[in-house]
Amino acid sequence: MGEYVRDAFIVLFSLTGLFFFVGGTVGLLRCPDLYTRLHPSTKCDTLGACSILLALIIHAGFSFVTLKLLAVAFFLLLSSATCGHAIGRSAFRSGVVPWHKPGVKPWPTEEENP
Amino acid sequence: MNYFFLAAAAAVMVNAFLCLYQGAKGPTIQDRVISINIVNTKTLVVLLLVFFVIGQPAMYLDIALIYTLLNFVVTIAVSRYIETERTAVG
Repeated sequence: MGEYVRDAFIVLFSLTGLFFFVGGTVGLLRCPDLYTRLHPSTKCDTLGACSILLALIIHAGFSFVTLKLLAVAFFLLLSSATCGHAIGRSAFRSGVVPWHKPGVKPWPTEEENP
Repeated sequence: MNYFFLAAAAAVMVNAFLCLYQGAKGPTIQDRVISINIVNTKTLVVLLLVFFVIGQPAMYLDIALIYTLLNFVVTIAVSRYIETERTAVG
């Protein structure tokens, strides 16, 4: 009985991770520009990877492997947000203009909004 | 359970190839950096699933840990280089 419950949790968390991976890929392919692409890339990818890591932690049981998987999850959480911020800042500072509808300004200029 | 992990790894690899296509297509350098970051994360997940399928994951988990840190270092280094060199579109 306990084996079946554990397997059910493993399958549940793995399918959750796959769902978020597919969502991130669809967002990456469909979004119009860089700043909108940062949103699916950093969030959905982190949650998908952490869900699959949680499934693997349940599969491995409580041992030394769990500690290493938790270390991988910690570095993943730390690096994904930092990478998203660094890429967005480098894009903004090197002059990439955000996507906007034709005829609509991306933000007010300094004369209009001093 | 091993077959389920292999199927999950195959599904993640399909996603990774779609992200790689976006990286080849992306107009700016930063698009490519984002795509490579995502492909690295998905490769990490595939590595972990395959490690658990072939058994003895405690031996191989250091590789996954180093892969995560290399992903972080590569992305930060490339974005800092682009920011300081002021090259907008590539």
